[in-house]
Amino acid sequence: MTQQAPKSNVCSDRFHLSSTDNIVCYNTVFYNKDIQQNKPEDFGNMEAASTRGVLSHLSLLEVQARSRKTQPEQQSRVVELKAKVEALMVQRDKLRAETETHKNLQKLRLSMDRQGADDEEEKEEEGMDEDSENAEVLHLMARQTQLKDLLDLHHLIGGYDVIQTRQGKGVCVSVATAYQGVYLDTYNLEIDLRPAVRIARHNVPPFVPLKRLAEQSGMQTDLRTFLDLLSQNLNGFSGRCRQLQLVKEQHGSVEVMESNVLCSILVLMFSVPRGRAAFLCRLDYTDLTRCLPTAVHFECTDERLPESPQWKMNCSLLLEVPVHRALTAMKKSGSII
Amino acid sequence: MDDSTKRLFQRLIRRIPSPMLKTTLDRWGRLTAAQLQALDFTQSKWALTEKLLGVCEENELAVKHITELEMIHVIENPNQGMWYALQLMDPQDDAYSIELTQFKEQFKSHLAELIRPVSVKIKKHTDDAVWIRIAWGDGFSRPNHLKPTYVVHYLQSPYVFVTSLTSKQKPLLTQALTQATRYEIIKDANLSGRNLSAIRDLLMRQYQQVFPSRYSNPLAEKNQTVSNVHIENEQAEAAANRQQMARHAFGDGMLPQLQSAVYKLETKFKDQTNKTMTEREELFKCVVKFTSTNLLESFRHSASSGIASTPVTPLLSSIPLKGKNYFVITDNGLGPSSQARQSQN
Repeated sequence: MTQQAPKSNVCSDRFHLSSTDNIVCYNTVFYNKDIQQNKPEDFGNMEAASTRGVLSHLSLLEVQARSRKTQPEQQSRVVELKAKVEALMVQRDKLRAETETHKNLQKLRLSMDRQGADDEEEKEEEGMDEDSENAEVLHLMARQTQLKDLLDLHHLIGGYDVIQTRQGKGVCVSVATAYQGVYLDTYNLEIDLRPAVRIARHNVPPFVPLKRLAEQSGMQTDLRTFLDLLSQNLNGFSGRCRQLQLVKEQHGSVEVMESNVLCSILVLMFSVPRGRAAFLCRLDYTDLTRCLPTAVHFECTDERLPESPQWKMNCSLLLEVPVHRALTAMKKSGSII
Repeated sequence: MDDSTKRLFQRLIRRIPSPMLKTTLDRWGRLTAAQLQALDFTQSKWALTEKLLGVCEENELAVKHITELEMIHVIENPNQGMWYALQLMDPQDDAYSIELTQFKEQFKSHLAELIRPVSVKIKKHTDDAVWIRIAWGDGFSRPNHLKPTYVVHYLQSPYVFVTSLTSKQKPLLTQALTQATRYEIIKDANLSGRNLSAIRDLLMRQYQQVFPSRYSNPLAEKNQTVSNVHIENEQAEAAANRQQMARHAFGDGMLPQLQSAVYKLETKFKDQTNKTMTEREELFKCVVKFTSTNLLESFRHSASSGIASTPVTPLLSSIPLKGKNYFVITDNGLGPSSQARQSQN
């Protein structure tokens, strides 16, 4: 930015504001008495200037700042560089120490993984003859990396994932659900660990009885059991919902008479061949962790039909095979249209 | 059709907006295809209503058919009137296996035990919602179909949504509901709004919530296209932080449309410069009400733009967190049911 210095007390100046692309010319006329001293009049000047526009005010401030600068700063540049060298050396030493620790950690991890978790008393202290406190800390760090890797693995195979939040005072659990190899919804829970174990926030739908599960599995003392149980429930729920979706997509001839938000009750109406008979099939999923029904009821206007061997077979088929696949099989065998 | 039935029908047709009239009548299915064809939907509403009355008399339709039509219309347009949410608590063991026919029978019989005469119509919608229409009568008069109560419940979920319920009718309805759903207690969920789908989505957690994740901040990836290389946003980091906190508190994307939030303060006055007020024994009562066409969206925007300070105060973030928009604040914290939460961040 270039600017002509004020040559007299009363001046009219043109300021060039240039960037690499644009040149803006700005004309300003102002009266400055004593810019070098911060007299009270200056503030009056500043106010007057600002009424004329922001850019004029900016230029006034710039002039003031420039007038305050004293000698050239070659000396300070050297001092600055020296300080920078110091800082960089400190950083280098820090990084060296970190790399050293990391190497030791890796060695320890290797030996830990080789030994397995049960040999924890036998600590192989090869090359680690520092004080025992240091070694213990290192051991804990190695164990932490081991657990983190386990968690990563768990997450990769479709289990839940846990990350720390609020500087270690809480965790966020993210439970992934999947059915037949296809990932479905992910549910998250933010859990406070201190002062007590408590679920702070979550996006689990209200018809999954979270509180009841927490009490049942003793979430306060055994978080893992709770998470396992929750994961099973959520996977069961997602799986059943997905099955219902597939039934609607793949089997248009089968009418869904009743379902509920929890997907724990399903009533289907079949069309039987050669039939004027209405055939109602009710599936109860009382075990919410499973995707297969616990009970199958048939109801038909023709009372003999459900007793036939074919339909007895269909009954056990529906108990053993997911409903959408059972329906395909039943269509193939000619039981239903 | 007697006069009251005619009046009911006229009012109903007046309520249904003209563009939707044809499809609604079609869905009703009480007019033959020929009759429907013969109607001229370009005439004035008044003329059309008269025509329709004629057709209904021809088909000998009665009150129950008209209430059918009303129910179809309300189910299609639920976002009118004020809806209130109620919460069911303490389920008994068989609450989770209640199925529709059982619920219908139980509800109808229990309500009929409590008040007679009463006209109840129950219908299951495609999204698993059970809609109940109740026309109340008392010992002396027939059910009043001009002021029906509508109730919506999703079986196996702990919430019930009601509209147009008077304080006299409330205890009867709540008792019938607890008995039919096999829960012990029902209470106010302190959530209300004009938009049924909004309060339902809020309670069923059907909107996009944001949780901390181990993966990189998705906002940073989204905002990678910089409009002009020469323009640098001085406070980009602060703005991104605010936006992140706003998203964590309220959620992402389209938020359920709430119209108001009410905070009732019952606290002691605390201002050292005002001795007279501070020395009073009684609690300082004050009501703060926020209104907006989309309240949660407004709050989220005020947090991300810096108008509301971040981290977002629990007073505001409790609305989506607890699914309430009526709070009583006492000196112990945020009421009515739980303690004040510590700040999330």
